[in-house]
Amino acid sequence: MWRNPEPRKFYDIIIIGGGGHGLGTAYYLAKEHGLKNIAVIEKGWLGGGNTGRNTTIIRSNYLWDESAHLYEHSLKLWENLSSELNYNVMFSQRGVLNLAHNEHDVKEIKRRVSANKLNGIDSHWADPKQIKKLVPIMNIENCRYPVLGASYQPRAGTARHDAVAWGYAMRADELGVDIIQNCEVKKIRTKNGKVYGIETTKGIIRAKRIGVVASGHTSVLAETAGIKLPLQSKTLQALVSEPIKPVINTVVMSNAVHAYVSQSDKGELVIGAGTDGYNSFTQRGGYNTIEDTLRAIIELYPIFGKMKMLRQWGGIVDICPDASPIISKCEIEGLYFNCGWGTGGFKATPGSANLFAHTVAKDEPHSINAPFSLERFVSGKLVDEHGAAAVAH
Amino acid sequence: MIENKIYFKFDGKTFEGNEGDTIAAALLRNNVKLVGRSFKYHRPRGIYTCGIEEPNALVQIVNEYNEPNVRATVKKIYEGMVIKSQNRWPSLKRDLGSINNLLSPIFSAGFYYKTFMGPKGFWKNVYEPLIRKTAGLGKPPREFKSKSIHLNHNVDIVIVGAGLAGLLAAKKLAGTKYDVLLIERESSLGGIMKNSKKIKFINDQSPNDWVKKTQRLIENSNNIKILKNTLVNTYNFKDHLIALEDRSVGKPQDNNKPELVLHKIRTKQTILANGHIERFISFRNNDLPGVMLAASFEKYIHRYGVVPDESPVIFTNNSSTFSLVKSLIDLGHKPKAYIDIRDQKKIEAEILELLTKYNIPLYAKSEIEGCDGKKEIKRVTIRIKKNETIKIKTSMLCVSGGFNPDIHLFTQSKGLLKWDKDLLTFKPDKIFQNTITLGSVSGNFSYENVLKEVNEKLSFFEGINDLEVKLDIDGPSDFQIKELWETKNLKKSLWSKSFIDLQNDVTTKDLRQAVTEGFNRIEHLKRFTTNSMGTDQGKISSINALGIVSKILKKDISEVGTTTYRPPYAPLNFSAIAGRSTYEFYDPIRKTPIHPWNVKHKAVFEDVGQWKRPWYFKKYEKETMHEAVQRESKQVRKSAGILDGSTLGKIEIKGKDALAFVNLIYTNSFTKMKPMTARYALMLGEDGMVKDDGIVCKINDQHFITTTTTGGASNVLTHMEEYAQTEWPNMNVYMNSITEQFATLNISGPKAKTIMKRVFNNIDFSNERFPFMTFNTFDYLNTKVRILRASFTGEQGFEIYVLPEHALTLWERLFYYSRDLDLVPYGTETMHLLRAEKGYIIVGQETDGTVTPVDLNLNWMIGKNKKDFIGKRSLTRSDIVSSERKQLVGLVPINKAYGIEEGQQVIEEKILETPIKKPIKMLGHVTSSYFSPTLNHSVAMALIKGGNRKIGSQLYVSTSDLNVIPVEVVKPNFIDPKNERLVT
Amino acid sequence: MLLINCPYCGERDQIEFTNGGEAHVARPKNPDQESDREWSEYVFVRANPKGIYYERWVHTHGCKKWFNAVRNTSTDEILEVYKIGDPPPPIKKFKNTLKSPSGEPDVGSGNFAVKKT
Repeated sequence: MWRNPEPRKFYDIIIIGGGGHGLGTAYYLAKEHGLKNIAVIEKGWLGGGNTGRNTTIIRSNYLWDESAHLYEHSLKLWENLSSELNYNVMFSQRGVLNLAHNEHDVKEIKRRVSANKLNGIDSHWADPKQIKKLVPIMNIENCRYPVLGASYQPRAGTARHDAVAWGYAMRADELGVDIIQNCEVKKIRTKNGKVYGIETTKGIIRAKRIGVVASGHTSVLAETAGIKLPLQSKTLQALVSEPIKPVINTVVMSNAVHAYVSQSDKGELVIGAGTDGYNSFTQRGGYNTIEDTLRAIIELYPIFGKMKMLRQWGGIVDICPDASPIISKCEIEGLYFNCGWGTGGFKATPGSANLFAHTVAKDEPHSINAPFSLERFVSGKLVDEHGAAAVAH
Repeated sequence: MIENKIYFKFDGKTFEGNEGDTIAAALLRNNVKLVGRSFKYHRPRGIYTCGIEEPNALVQIVNEYNEPNVRATVKKIYEGMVIKSQNRWPSLKRDLGSINNLLSPIFSAGFYYKTFMGPKGFWKNVYEPLIRKTAGLGKPPREFKSKSIHLNHNVDIVIVGAGLAGLLAAKKLAGTKYDVLLIERESSLGGIMKNSKKIKFINDQSPNDWVKKTQRLIENSNNIKILKNTLVNTYNFKDHLIALEDRSVGKPQDNNKPELVLHKIRTKQTILANGHIERFISFRNNDLPGVMLAASFEKYIHRYGVVPDESPVIFTNNSSTFSLVKSLIDLGHKPKAYIDIRDQKKIEAEILELLTKYNIPLYAKSEIEGCDGKKEIKRVTIRIKKNETIKIKTSMLCVSGGFNPDIHLFTQSKGLLKWDKDLLTFKPDKIFQNTITLGSVSGNFSYENVLKEVNEKLSFFEGINDLEVKLDIDGPSDFQIKELWETKNLKKSLWSKSFIDLQNDVTTKDLRQAVTEGFNRIEHLKRFTTNSMGTDQGKISSINALGIVSKILKKDISEVGTTTYRPPYAPLNFSAIAGRSTYEFYDPIRKTPIHPWNVKHKAVFEDVGQWKRPWYFKKYEKETMHEAVQRESKQVRKSAGILDGSTLGKIEIKGKDALAFVNLIYTNSFTKMKPMTARYALMLGEDGMVKDDGIVCKINDQHFITTTTTGGASNVLTHMEEYAQTEWPNMNVYMNSITEQFATLNISGPKAKTIMKRVFNNIDFSNERFPFMTFNTFDYLNTKVRILRASFTGEQGFEIYVLPEHALTLWERLFYYSRDLDLVPYGTETMHLLRAEKGYIIVGQETDGTVTPVDLNLNWMIGKNKKDFIGKRSLTRSDIVSSERKQLVGLVPINKAYGIEEGQQVIEEKILETPIKKPIKMLGHVTSSYFSPTLNHSVAMALIKGGNRKIGSQLYVSTSDLNVIPVEVVKPNFIDPKNERLVT
Repeated sequence: MLLINCPYCGERDQIEFTNGGEAHVARPKNPDQESDREWSEYVFVRANPKGIYYERWVHTHGCKKWFNAVRNTSTDEILEVYKIGDPPPPIKKFKNTLKSPSGEPDVGSGNFAVKKT
C-alpha cells in the first residue's frame, strides 16, 4: 500500500493532514508539478477524519460562477479518477436531486439550474412527475411540505470515500511522497515572516513550504503561526441504516427539511443530518439533530418507518462565514491554507487537491481558486453560498 | 407448567412454538437449523447465538409491514406471525446466489477497489448494477405509520441490566432517597441466573426464587422503577441515555398504540451492569448451521426449555463450558465430545471429574480444525495432535472462545479501555462521565466478587442498604482461559472458509491478505475488509479480529487498539427516533384568523414558513393561476383589492432608549420623524447585506411598532434581542412579538379610500388629516383598530390592524360595504406582481444575503447623518463601493410578445450554442418577472453587474430551453413613477 | 446532548438553547475608525480553540436571556456559566487537559477507545 517512513529532517513541502484533500495535494504536487521531497503529516490514520465520515455526495450544481467552476473542475477529475489512480474509487454517477418544498425553493432552484446550464453543467429542473419516476418511494404530495420540483444533475453521484484516500496515498507514495501517520503537529514555526518548519510528536521537521489541510483543526494550527482564520469548527452528523435491497438509486437532498439520503452499493441508506449549532471537537453531536433528520426522512419516505439506524457518528467541519472554502496564501511566506469546506468538502477532493497543489507549487492561486482567497473577507467579495437560503416575503 | 401453543409461518410452512419463544427458540424447537443465507457468498446460515449479538439469523416479518433484518434470536413469536428468510432466491434451500461462493477469489477483501474497473463505462453500466443487485440483506419494508412515542426522565441513578450485579445494586438502593431506573432488555429480570445454572443457590434459595423476591422488594420500594423489554442503546454526553422499549413483545402490532417507546433519560449517575458477550473461534466452515455459541445453547435450555441438540460436541478454550455440560447432564443428555485446547493439567478438576463421571470423551490440548456438511453440520474434524486429526459425526457444535465485557455503552460514554491479559479482553479503565461499571462488564468474571464490587463502588451513596449474599457456584469458581482466535485450516477448497465476520462474510484469510497489502492499522483493516461493520457490529467477533491481526503484526493487542464503537448499541428503529413529531404532527400549521374565509373562497395556499398564505383565489374551478393572478391584479388597479397580511411579523419596541435602539437596528433615521408617522425601513446584518425590511411606526420616541417579513419574524426579534442584551445592555429597551396579537388586513386600489370611508364612517380619511405613511388608533364598534396608510401595490392603501377575534367580521364588513365596488381578495402572487410593477423589492427575492441597500438603489434609506447603525461600516469596504457590483434594474422584452423567465440569467450573447461547452459570461439574474396586465407585457427586475450604467441598453435573457430573449434595461419602476397614486 | 445550567432558570436540556458563538467580542465603539481589515476581523473572525472556550448561549425556549459559558470544546464539558456583564472567570481557573493545540484530552475524546501508549 504505502511505506511507513520515519520523517526526514527537511522537506521542500509539507502537507499537514492525511485526508483525501491532503493526500491528493501531495499526489498532484509530485505528479503534475514534478516536485520531490514532499511529506504528508497525519495526526491519526489516513482518511480517518472527514474523508471517512461524510455521506460521499458528489455534485457541481452550485449557484455562483466561482463555486460552479471549482466543483465542476472537481467533478471532471472524479470522472477519470479510478483510471488516473488505477484504483476503483467507485464513483457512481447515479444523479442527485435537490428538492424544492415551497415557492421560494422553486425560485432559488430554478435560478441555480439556469446558472448551471450557462456554466455548462448538466443541471435540469425536474417536475414532481419526473421525480416520482426517479424515486418511486418518495412521498411527493401527502406531506406537510409537498415536493414541488427539484434540480437534477445526472452526472452527480457518490464515491467510496476510503478508496479515495487510499488511492491517492498509494500513488503519492509511489511517486516518493513520505506519508507519516501517527504524527501530530504541535506548532507551525515561522521565522522572519517565512515558514521554518513544524514541531511534531516525532520531532522538528523543517520545510520551505507548508500546506495546511486539516479540516476542523486548521484554525487551531493556524493560530500556532499567529494566523487567525475565519473558521468555526462544528459537528456534522451522519448515520447509516441496516442494509436492504436497493430501493433508491438517486441521491436525494432536501435543504428545507434537512434530509440527505442515498443508498450505498452495500444496501445501507446513508443519511446526512444538519450541523450542530455550537463549536466542538468531540466528534459527537446532539441527539435532537438525528431526530430532526429522521423525522424528515420518514416524512419523505414512508416505507422507511420500519428501517433501523445501524451506526451514527459525527465529524468536525470547519465552516467559513460565507459557506465557501479558502484555498489561499497568507501573510506568511510559504504558508498555505486549504480549509473551510464545511459540510461539502468530499465532493471537492480531487479539485481542491489539484488547485491547492497548483497554489503551493506556483506560490499563486490557479484562476479557479483565486476567488477563494483570505482577502475576500476584507474586501467584501464573498462567495456566499448560503445567502440563497434567505427567507421570502 | 402447561405452555400455550402458538402457530406461526416460516417460509410458507406452519410451525408450532411456545408462548414466550423467540423465533429462533421456536425454530430450534422444530429442529430447523437453516434460517438464512449470507451476504456475499449466500452460504447457508443458522442460529448462532441466543440474543442481540446474533450475526446470522436475520429474518423478515411479513405481517409487520415486511420489516427486514429482524433478529430471530430476539423477536418473540405470536399467533399468526408470518416470517420469511432473507437474501435467497428462489428459496432458502436452493439459492442461486450461492454461486458467489465459488467465485469467492474475486470477492476477497477489497475486491471492489482492484477489480470491476475494466474498459470505460463498464463500471457504470455493467459492474455497479451487478454489485447493486447483490446488495442488502432483507427486502424493503412497506409503508408504515408508527405511533411510537418519546418519554423523558430525569433521575438520580440508572442501572443498566438486571442480572446479578444490577439486581444487587438495585437492592442496595431500594428505599433510599434516590430516584432510580432499573432497565432490563429481556422480558424478565435475572440475567445469567435465568440463562444458566452457573449459580446453584443464593442465600440458600434457588436463583429463581431469589430473583422473584428481589424483584418484589424493588417493586415495593417507592424509589425504583423497572423498565423491561427495554434496551439502552445510546450513552450520550452528559449522562444522557436513549433506551428503546418494545411494547409489543410477543403480540401482533396494534396500530392504535405505540409499539415502541423511546426513553430519553437524563441521570446523575449511570450504573452499567449490562454483562458480557460470548465470542466465537474461527475455524474452517465455522459458519455452518449447527454451530452455536456454548452459552447461547445453554440459554435456550434454561430460558426457553429448548434443547437444540441432545448430544452436541463442545469446543472451548476456557472454564465456562462446565455449566453447559452440567445443564445437559441434568436433563439426561450428554455431550458427544468435549474439546479443550488447554492441557489436561490446566483443565479444572470440576470439569475433569464431571466428564469422567459421565464418560464423556475429552480431547485436551486439541482443537476443531473444521466442520463439514452441506446445509448443516454433519461432521467435525478434531486436531488431536499436531499432525493428527479425527472426525466425529455430530449435528451440533457448541463453541466458546471466551467473553467480552459488553463495553459498547461504556465506550460510547467515552470511557477508556484497557487490555486484560488474563481474561484476554478489553475492559473499562477510566471513566469520563458519571459512570460505574459492575459485574462482568467491568471485567469481573467471578460471581463471588460481584457483591464485593457492588458494596465498594456504591458505598458513596447515602443511606444505602447493607447486603449479605451467599452464593453457591456450580463448577470452577475462577474463570480461566487460554488464547485462541482461530485454528489452522487444513482443507484447501473454495468451499472451505474460516470466517471472522459471519454477517459480512469476512474470512480470516481476508484479514491476512489486507495486512499483507499494508493495511496494518485496525481502522483501515475494518474499512478495507468491512469486518465488524454488519448489523451486529461484530459483537461476537471484533476482538477475535484484533487477536488475529495482533498475531500477524506480532504486536500486543493493546497496541493494535480497537476501533471506536459507534452508537447505537443495536439497530434502532427510525420510527422510534422520530417519535410522534411525524405525519400530521411533523410541523405545526399556522393559520390566520381569515383562514376559514380564504378556504371557503377557494384560495390556493402556499407554505411560507409554517404559515398557510393564500397564493391566489380561484374564481371558478378551471381558472388557472395565471388567469386568476391577472384578474386579481387588474381589479386591484381598477377598483380595490384586499390581502390577508396577518402573517407579517410585528414587534413592539418600548423603553426610554427605544429611539436610539431603532436608529441602530435600521439604516434609516427616525430621530426627526414625527410621532404617529411610519417609514419603510431596512435592516442590515453587520456585513452590510440586507437582512429584512418592514414598516417602522413611531408612536413616540419611547414607543415603536415595526413589521417584518413573514419568514423573518423570529430571526429579526432574535437579532434585536441579541444586540439589546449583549451589546447595549445599558439601553432601556424592551421588545415583544405581537405578530399573533393582531390580524392585518391590507386594502388597496383607487377605491380603497371610498371603502374605508364607508366602513369607518367616523374617521376622516382626507389627505390633510390622514396623509400617506401615517397611522392612528380608532374606536371601531366594540373594539379598537389601528389604521396605517401605506401601500405595497403602488395604489392608495390602508393596513388595518385588528384583534384576531374581530378580524373576520371586519373582513366581511369590508366586502359587504363594497358590494358595488368589486373589492377583490388577492393572494401573495398578485401581491408580488403588483409590487414588481411598482419596483418594490421583496427580501429573499431581490436579495439573497449578498445585496446591499446601495445595490438596490435604496441609498435614500440610509440615514446619512447617523454615526452608526448595524452594517454601516461594511458598506464602505472596497468591493462594496465598487460600481461593478450587481445593481437592481428593470427589464422589458424588446419584443413584447415574449415573456421573461424568473431566475434566468442576463447575458451579452445574442445566441447560445448548445451544448454549452464553455461557461457563458453571466451579468446577473432575473430576480422577479411577471406579465403585467396593466402594461400588457412582461416586466422584470434583475440584479446585473454595473446595472446602473446599462440603463437604456440592450441585453439578453436566457430561457430554460437555452434560447435568448432581447431585453431593454430600464429603471425598475414600471407604473406611476411619480407616486401620484399613493397620495391621492 | 449537553446539560446547560441557565443562570436564570437552572439546568435544562441543550435543545432549549441556541449557541451564540464567542463571548466578549465587543462591537467597536467607532466602526468608522476601523480599517477594512480590523472591521473584517470583527465581523468574520471568531476564536475557535480546542479546549477552553468562552461562548454565549441564549435560552431560546425558556427565559430568552443571553448568558456566557466556559466550555471545553475538546470534551464539551461546561465548566462555568455566568450572566452577561459579569466579569469572565480567568482562564487559569480551568484545567486544560490538552498537551498541544490540536491534541486530545486524556478521556472524553471522540477519537479513541483505548489509551494510546
